[in-house]
Amino acid sequence: MINDATAKYIVENKNCFEDLKQVASQLAGLLVLAAAGSKEGSPDHPVLGAARELYREANDALRRARPTDQACKHHAHLTRAAASIGIALKEAGGGLNIDAILIPLRAGYTELERAADALPGFEKIAYRRACCVGARIQ
Amino acid sequence: MNAYSLWVMEYAAVPNYPQSGLIYGMHNQGTRKLPYCYIVIKGHGKLAMVDVGYNHKAHGEVLANTYGVRGWRAPKEVLAEIGIQPADISTIFITHAHFDHMGNIEDFPNATFYLQERELSKWVWTMSLERRFRWLMLGIDPADILRAVDLARQGRLVCVDGDRENVLPGIDLHPAFDTHTWGSMYVTVRNDLAANSQSSWVFCGDLAYGYENLRGHDPEDPEYIPVGLATGSQFNLIMTTERMVKSVGGDVHRVIPPHEERLKDLFPSRITKAGLRITELALADGEKSQVV
Repeated sequence: MINDATAKYIVENKNCFEDLKQVASQLAGLLVLAAAGSKEGSPDHPVLGAARELYREANDALRRARPTDQACKHHAHLTRAAASIGIALKEAGGGLNIDAILIPLRAGYTELERAADALPGFEKIAYRRACCVGARIQ
Repeated sequence: MNAYSLWVMEYAAVPNYPQSGLIYGMHNQGTRKLPYCYIVIKGHGKLAMVDVGYNHKAHGEVLANTYGVRGWRAPKEVLAEIGIQPADISTIFITHAHFDHMGNIEDFPNATFYLQERELSKWVWTMSLERRFRWLMLGIDPADILRAVDLARQGRLVCVDGDRENVLPGIDLHPAFDTHTWGSMYVTVRNDLAANSQSSWVFCGDLAYGYENLRGHDPEDPEYIPVGLATGSQFNLIMTTERMVKSVGGDVHRVIPPHEERLKDLFPSRITKAGLRITELALADGEKSQVV
């Protein structure tokens, strides 16, 4: 059973989780373009700037978070995710060395998946907006 | 003469999917079964697939418990029903990047994947937009993108830019830009291998969910009705439907929507022990039926 304080934590930190997930997606997307030889797979792609901005916001939110005992595990995963994704983002600033970016990025995403499993309310993807997924079971 | 055997393999299903999500305008008209399927193409010493399904490890529990997806089975079990192993598959065509179509990449260790370059590049562009545009990201799993990086580095991800003919003999890829997704595509199999084929099949991904999309509600007075969900435009969907239907000589039953339950009414099929349907569209010369 989730207590009220933890429910508040979930609501307050949902966007932080979503933003970190988005930054991971943005970096992964840029890497796949680069690895596939797309002309758009370059460090000049606007997605990198968007990722930096979003990462700053997510990091600020993470610093403000006040995890309850029930939320400690979630918060620890989220913190580790932010640290790893931050390393990946920093690496991307020096050019698209795929290995140097991919290793911390994958580690960061794994931490996000663990965070999603640690508390309800944090989805790995937005199922409710997926085209082939039906209505929620009541 | 058939060059290829063609099977539609069900790997999971939603028993009660709202009609309005499938056929534009069918609001408050109940639900229908929505099977999740991929296509197997066998012939010329090749094994290919259209789409690969979703990653159960990542999504199975939520999809089953929260959204009512039932009966998921791994490709290993599904393909074994027709005597194939995932490692045997050499070529996979991804119609679009939604998680239930390209989520199972890692189960096919020896396959080369074909995807429209625009499908990737526009998703990445979309990701550069602000949060309020997040609806445009629907159905994308970040983990699938990470897996695609590995594929690309191994030289197993081929980004196609527009039409490509004879990727395998008689098998062509056609873009459907700005329709269901930014860079959707459909796959044509010319099963007589002729340039002006009299035996074409179209595998349309989610460009059509059911026959209503291809011929409307009255087969005697056909019309195109778009699917219930598009990132691109309904106009583009309708014009793509025209191209698909024309490419099979006007026979809409040769356009195969993988989510259409009524394929069983038109083609031989059987139900496996796991409760999943195998539908046999065509048999290559000398190939034994897998459903009778």
